[in-house]
Amino acid sequence: MGKKMLNFEEQCKILNLLKSSSEQKSIEEMLTEFFTNPKLRHFNVCYSLSLLLQDKMMLSSTERLVAFAILHRSYSSQKSAANPFISFLVNAACDEGAENYERAFILHLLGFGNSNSSKEFLKQSASEYIKKFDPSSQTFPQKEQLQKQYLEKAHPEPYACLLKSTAVKNVLADPDVPPGCDANSAEFDLEPGAKSKLGSGDRDEALSGLIANLSLEGLIPHWIRPLPPRFPVDEELVWLNPDNNHELQWDQGMCADTSRGAAVRDLIAKALRGPLAPNQQEQVLVELANDPKLVYHCGLTPRKLPELVESNPLIAVDVLIKLINSPEIAEYFTVLVNMDMSLHSMEVVNRLTTAVELPKEFVRTYITNCISSCENIKLVDKEKELLRCNFIFKIWHALHDVKVGPFFWLIFSCALGFVLTCRNCQLKREWKDFLNRKAFSLTNSVQIKA
Amino acid sequence: MDSRDSSSSSVPNRDGTAGDDDGVLSVTAALAKDAALYFQSRKFAECVDVLTQLKTKKEGDPKVLHNIAIAEFLRDGCSDPKKMLEVLNNIKKRSEELAHASEEQVESGSDVGNKVTSGSKESSSTTHQVSASHSASTIYTAEFDTSVISLNIAVIWFHLHEYAKALSVLEPLYKNIEPIDETTALHICLLLLDVVLASCDASKSADVLNYLEKAFGVGNVSQGDNGNILLQQSTNLVGKLSSVPSSSLVSDASTPDLAASVNASENPLSRTLSEDPLDEMFSTLDIAGQNLSRSADLTSPKELPRTTVDRSIFGVDLKLKLQLYKVRFLLLTRNIKLAKREVKHATNIARGRESSTALLLKAQLEYARGNHRKAIKLLMASTNRTDTAISSMFNNNLGCIYYKLGKYHTSAVFFSKALSNCSSLQKEKPLKLFTFSQDKSLHITYNCGLQYLACGKPIIAARCFQKASLIFYKRPLLWLRLAECCLMAVEKGLVEGSRPPNRSEIRVDVIGKGRWRKLLIEDGISRSGLVDSVGKDDWALGGDEEPKLSLPLARQCLYNALHLLNCSDSSHLKSLLPSNSSLEENESSDGASSKNPNHKSLVGIDSKPSTLSVGLVNSNGDLKEPKAGTNQEMIHNSVAYFADICRKENQMMKQALLANLAYVELELENPLKALSAARSLLELPGCSRIYIFLGHVYAAEALCLLNKPKEAVEHLSIYLSGPNKVESPFSQEDCEQWLTEKPIDCEEPNGGGGGAATAAKNPSPEGMQEFMFLKPEEACGTLYANLAALYATQGELDRAHQFTTQALSLLPNSTEATMTAIYIDLLLGKSQEALSKLKRCSHVRFLSSNLQSNKSS
Repeated sequence: MGKKMLNFEEQCKILNLLKSSSEQKSIEEMLTEFFTNPKLRHFNVCYSLSLLLQDKMMLSSTERLVAFAILHRSYSSQKSAANPFISFLVNAACDEGAENYERAFILHLLGFGNSNSSKEFLKQSASEYIKKFDPSSQTFPQKEQLQKQYLEKAHPEPYACLLKSTAVKNVLADPDVPPGCDANSAEFDLEPGAKSKLGSGDRDEALSGLIANLSLEGLIPHWIRPLPPRFPVDEELVWLNPDNNHELQWDQGMCADTSRGAAVRDLIAKALRGPLAPNQQEQVLVELANDPKLVYHCGLTPRKLPELVESNPLIAVDVLIKLINSPEIAEYFTVLVNMDMSLHSMEVVNRLTTAVELPKEFVRTYITNCISSCENIKLVDKEKELLRCNFIFKIWHALHDVKVGPFFWLIFSCALGFVLTCRNCQLKREWKDFLNRKAFSLTNSVQIKA
Repeated sequence: MDSRDSSSSSVPNRDGTAGDDDGVLSVTAALAKDAALYFQSRKFAECVDVLTQLKTKKEGDPKVLHNIAIAEFLRDGCSDPKKMLEVLNNIKKRSEELAHASEEQVESGSDVGNKVTSGSKESSSTTHQVSASHSASTIYTAEFDTSVISLNIAVIWFHLHEYAKALSVLEPLYKNIEPIDETTALHICLLLLDVVLASCDASKSADVLNYLEKAFGVGNVSQGDNGNILLQQSTNLVGKLSSVPSSSLVSDASTPDLAASVNASENPLSRTLSEDPLDEMFSTLDIAGQNLSRSADLTSPKELPRTTVDRSIFGVDLKLKLQLYKVRFLLLTRNIKLAKREVKHATNIARGRESSTALLLKAQLEYARGNHRKAIKLLMASTNRTDTAISSMFNNNLGCIYYKLGKYHTSAVFFSKALSNCSSLQKEKPLKLFTFSQDKSLHITYNCGLQYLACGKPIIAARCFQKASLIFYKRPLLWLRLAECCLMAVEKGLVEGSRPPNRSEIRVDVIGKGRWRKLLIEDGISRSGLVDSVGKDDWALGGDEEPKLSLPLARQCLYNALHLLNCSDSSHLKSLLPSNSSLEENESSDGASSKNPNHKSLVGIDSKPSTLSVGLVNSNGDLKEPKAGTNQEMIHNSVAYFADICRKENQMMKQALLANLAYVELELENPLKALSAARSLLELPGCSRIYIFLGHVYAAEALCLLNKPKEAVEHLSIYLSGPNKVESPFSQEDCEQWLTEKPIDCEEPNGGGGGAATAAKNPSPEGMQEFMFLKPEEACGTLYANLAALYATQGELDRAHQFTTQALSLLPNSTEATMTAIYIDLLLGKSQEALSKLKRCSHVRFLSSNLQSNKSS
């Protein structure tokens, strides 16, 4: 159900008003009576009346006058421009097709021309006004003039929806008369007491029906707003498969012997301080091998690794290999990379490269660090020199199968730089042979190094 | 009491043989052993008795407390898992505190950092003591090792279907799995695998699957030192396994190792000699365990676990289990072809033993392939239907199949059967922990929701979704479905205060008679009044209260879904970016991260860069079958392929969400928000033409409501091919494509009936029927009608009139188009034409104003 514009009380009020318009009551009297009810919704009443007025056949001449008077009076306490129906009134006043008395009446209402005698004409009844109306006494101004006078200071159009602001009246005349008859002819009016004939109808019935059913909303163009489709059900239905049962687990570690691997832990602790005896070393290796988890409990931490490497490189290698799957291995590697370069650390790295696949990143960083420390130390003794030789050679072999990209050349050039200062002639020769075999361009490498 | 007597009688003996400390140790060890034996034979009451004795000797020992808690819980019939969780968490906390305290004690007491590497990773990486010399290692963190407690906590969460919570417990364990002993590690992995599979996390499933196969199956464990070590302990077997020619799990039914494994388990005596690595591993384990348990004084604590490896996971069992996991994984990733092969392999491993899991998986496979008949046949073959849990699954799955066949009412019957199975399952005594996880009523309820939605019953469907939200609240799809329920309810006029039920009807009041007859067109299809129904959000998630369906609720749901989708998108992106990037990639960013090398790839999970996924799905959306290379490759490809599917599905869902959102905002008269939703919809990459159309229509309407007719026209005139000619915004193929976005493997086995295959490729008629949307020509009509409305408001009445004529010819029954046409006629002063249109329209109801009775035209 659309919203009805008028409640029942308002409907009665309007109907009574319209009915009484033909009586000899003065218009002023009728207006006062009409506005006694403070609950009256002025806009709704006026809007209904304006809709009825639009249909020229619907209301009688006296009824129209009273209706116009209501439209005006409802908002007469404010400036005329504030009256929402002011343009309706102005248009009606300028309607060439309308009766002149009606137009004159509206002009009177608006107080056009003679503002002082404005109230006088309301003292008579509507029918008197029509009767006494003298067409010659009234001049009709141009529409523009009226608009200028009454609408100029009108408020700007309030915001309204595009679709709705263009609403048209939703009442359509659909005279139900035999074909070929003039629907406007009075012959179809229902005479009281007369037998109703085809096409006849009662105006009052239609009027009250209309008043009862008028709604605020007019007819507007309608936008089609398609409902979005439902999302297709694809893999959404839940298919059920039996779950695996997962039981609560007994903690086997309860009251367990916590001395497990105590010997190894002691030995590892010793190993951090100095080289172990061969049999001790053997013991550590065997015990670690026997219990693969022991390595996690042997008391070694990344921070302790350098000491282990320096004192017992073989154990360090073994432990690291066992820890290769540990989440901490990265930390161990970081420590290993950053510890001071020594024969032992190289040994460890070297052995690691052959035993497990080291992350290339690690190897790379290690080499960089080595190179920089190579460059920084002075060639003091033969041992160090040999050490460097060995190291580079070993790394070279370690990297042989690995694609290392630009780094390859860096090492290479470093090695080259070393070879040039090398006092070990045999090694020098080997290197040169090697380089020749690789058909390596000297200049190129030096450039890259720079 | 017996046990107490015997153990107490043994005390003096031990005391006699050993020193005081050792005596206490051996007493407790003996009690622990007794308790463990009772536990294994499921005599929980006796077990608790022994443990209580033990407790007096080891006051406050977390492991004793833990085992007591477990035993008591099982003794009491698992009645209160939530409370159990609390208990376990407290014990865990206490254990961690003790570990921390002892660590500190050691550090302060001996001036050295005795960092023990086991235990939680955070602690080991935060505290560093550089100097290290003296071993203060009477402290041993295994004593405070919480891995078993954590595992049990996760087990309970798992049974309660709280997968996210289980995952949060399991992941730290998994990350640091190496130091954990093998049995527990295996349990952790299997549970984790179940959890991630249940939460549809393909990439994590792949990780765990890979790791399991590597550590417990085949593949190279990169321990380079194997060979020279006595292979006595189970873990070393893993090392040994790596030397066995791999691919026993690379599933090819014809590989010789399969035959070997068949022999192996047919003849249990030859098991140890078998070449099947798994069988061997576990049989060795078994035998070793028996030996150890016989020689009593050898029970060193670390050997104890070996004696008690869970008997349910012996060789073949584990192998079958892994195989089934793999099938589940492949089904999850919708790698149908491989799943088919692997399931075959699984049945070979099972060798005729009843495996309802395998059977259901097979049925699921056929279901996924669209061979619904075959799926039904397979389900029917299941003999184990007496089991309540199984029969609830059976009924649910049948319901799924019938749903797919478009027989919603049959599916409803099966779903409700499944639900009643579930409720009788809950009544079964004694209660087992497993019973909780077997209760799938919420899953089934979700299916019910879908089925009710398909039947057009939005309110009851919403109730189902609301119930299911307890477990599915993180799925964007759930929220989309709820929003759809709201929209459907509003559409059907089931929502309080919303528009009249039949809005596709023009109501006309007939006033007066004869000459004075007037027709008053009630604007029944005007949408005013909806805003009045905006209620408070009086619906709490998971509450008992029935959801009050409304447009604001729909909006809320859509926002939830969008939020979840965006979250999953970003996490999805993260998972695509190789978190454990391979080193080739690092090379390009040379040296940038050299100081902190990313070694994660060493942890046992090789994940290759995501480039592999590129090109898996070609532009037509056809699946190029992931090549079955190595196991890992296969798994990896499946993950990549699945990621692609998920991305696509998320895209689709986003379109649907934004379109729905725009629609809802329009209904709620929020044109600005509607406009922004419609614009986001139009900006989506790869947007379907259907949704582009909706986006334009919604945007145009929103702009109209915002008094921007020019911009509105722009949106609609995209579809204008001539001055007054609209081209079809989408085609029938677009609709079909939308329905079959997912690529389906439709290869028929051995040239079987091709009908099913084609049925799977093209959307079934049922599928199309479910897709209730405008036909392409209706979409054209919609555009004409809206253009007409737009031009009418602009005063371009002639043009509007032309459009409205075309709109009416395409949509003769559309009330909106008719109303617009009448409106234009009235503006043009053609009231007679307006009248005749009104009388011609079949959706007009003429109401006598006085009687208010229906009077048909």
